[in-house]
Amino acid sequence: MSLAVEIAGVRLKNPLIAASGTFGYGVEYEGLLDLSLLGGIVSKGLYMEPRDGCPTPRIVETPSGLLNAIGLQGVGAPAFVRDVLPRLARYDTAVFVNVCGDTVEEYAEVARVLAGAPGVAGLEINISCPNVKKGGMAFGGDPRMTHEVVAAVRKATRLPVIPKLSPNVADVALFARVCEEAGADAVSCINTLLGLVVDVEARRPKLAFGTGGLSGPAIRPVAVRMAWQAARAVKIPVIGIGGVSSAQDALEFLIVGCRAVQIGTANFVEPGVYARVLAGLEDYLGRHGLDDVNAVVGTLRFPGEGAEAGSEG
Amino acid sequence: MPANRDVALVAREVLEGAYVLLTFRHPEVAREARAGQFVMIKAGTSADPPLRRPFSILAVDPERETFSLFLKAVGAGSRALADLPPGGAAQCVGPLGRPFEPPSDGSEALMVAGGYGIAPFLLFVRELRRAGRTGRVFYGGRTVADLQVREPFTALGVSLVPATEDGSLGHRGRVTAPLEEYLDGGPGPATLYACGPDAMMRAVARVAERRGLPAQVSLDPWMGCGVGTCLGCVVRIQRPDEPQAKYRCACTEGPVFDAATVVWPGEAASLARRRAVEVKG
Repeated sequence: MSLAVEIAGVRLKNPLIAASGTFGYGVEYEGLLDLSLLGGIVSKGLYMEPRDGCPTPRIVETPSGLLNAIGLQGVGAPAFVRDVLPRLARYDTAVFVNVCGDTVEEYAEVARVLAGAPGVAGLEINISCPNVKKGGMAFGGDPRMTHEVVAAVRKATRLPVIPKLSPNVADVALFARVCEEAGADAVSCINTLLGLVVDVEARRPKLAFGTGGLSGPAIRPVAVRMAWQAARAVKIPVIGIGGVSSAQDALEFLIVGCRAVQIGTANFVEPGVYARVLAGLEDYLGRHGLDDVNAVVGTLRFPGEGAEAGSEG
Repeated sequence: MPANRDVALVAREVLEGAYVLLTFRHPEVAREARAGQFVMIKAGTSADPPLRRPFSILAVDPERETFSLFLKAVGAGSRALADLPPGGAAQCVGPLGRPFEPPSDGSEALMVAGGYGIAPFLLFVRELRRAGRTGRVFYGGRTVADLQVREPFTALGVSLVPATEDGSLGHRGRVTAPLEEYLDGGPGPATLYACGPDAMMRAVARVAERRGLPAQVSLDPWMGCGVGTCLGCVVRIQRPDEPQAKYRCACTEGPVFDAATVVWPGEAASLARRRAVEVKG
């Protein structure tokens, strides 16, 4: 039975990837699980310089979800290359790096630093963080800026370029197409949904930044719908993200057309989530008489489409 | 090394005032836990509430491979744990975080606990005893029901000074009053340790600052993961050689910090930094 998938020319031993911002730089989980179980890891977002991030409080729980405004606290790309990449080299997993920038030029500069480092499988382009004042969602919410950032990174590196799309737009398919036209090799879909939680006694936001990004099981139906729309709009692979914590959840994304799936908030809740989801995927394939996970991808039978449409006539 | 395990509730003792003592089997925590360390734990697998909760480890039994928590059911996460039936399943990773540093030679450990902040000090007095040392516990709360873990300390021969805001047990008022009274009596060198509400820990830090005593505080911000990846639990820490405070994870670089390095809300710099600048200036 094969769980291997291919994203932008990178072979992953299975379709499960740890999502940026929920897995640190990977090495934090070294003692708690075997990193070689994962198809891949996406690092915490990196600028050129170290970043402090947002004031506190930075996280608040919501029904089946988590609202965060961390603000991309991080060590910076050069320190990651020097201190973290060598430690990750001993694991059999694909290392993707989440690239951030205040300006288009900074995205390209970070991409160049990482392109010159051994052990980077691809770059995820963060044009969708809702918790920074410059860059992030400001780029990913504007088709022209999205094109500009993706094209600039494309020019800076031969590594696979994977923009991470914002859900805080009216038409995610449009942005997926813009990325494809600008030379992206795949898209990640979706980042967190912009949210606000109010402390009614103080009549202030519970997060110090004000608004935050919502993640976790609460957003999964929205994420699956957007991944489905993106997958129909482009030929490049779509990596689904949003509230995955079980094989069922991962399968929803695969069935609507995603070639791989990222696991985010569930990392905080259950460091052992990968082994459980992988076992569940194998069980599913076995029950459905399939021997390759790719056979599930894009098999959604949507009412009014394909074979279903004929039966309605 | 911390380990992530599915655990089962071995014993449960319900106390007054929504407090409960819970015992779980977890060999790594039972063997390796040190005073001030914590576990991230969650009852069952429900997505709501999603996150695990951090709790200081109260006691361990390496032979039975168990550890115990003392907690108050205050929200959905702690209530789900408090309501676990015997044998009930939980997910638990631990032991996590930096423990208390023992006091330097000849210095007496003065532990100040507020409510469930008593939890890490039972392990601490056992560690002190094994090293042939002793200590003194100042235990505060609103009312006597908030001061439920007393006998284990007195059984170990540790003097425990209670304080309640309503006067139902011990000194009437804040727990820092009997602490200051004791320090006024001119004991030998002392090191202060605090675990409890933020206001209490800050008050203890002020006592330490005024009297020039070292102090360690066990901070308790909201935590997402417990292992340094979510960056949700950061606190502002500034060491003497740092011109700017840095956000550091309470889960991996704490929860126990040198009180002099904490930049408390509303402050521009830590005590340690202010002192360093004075010396240079």
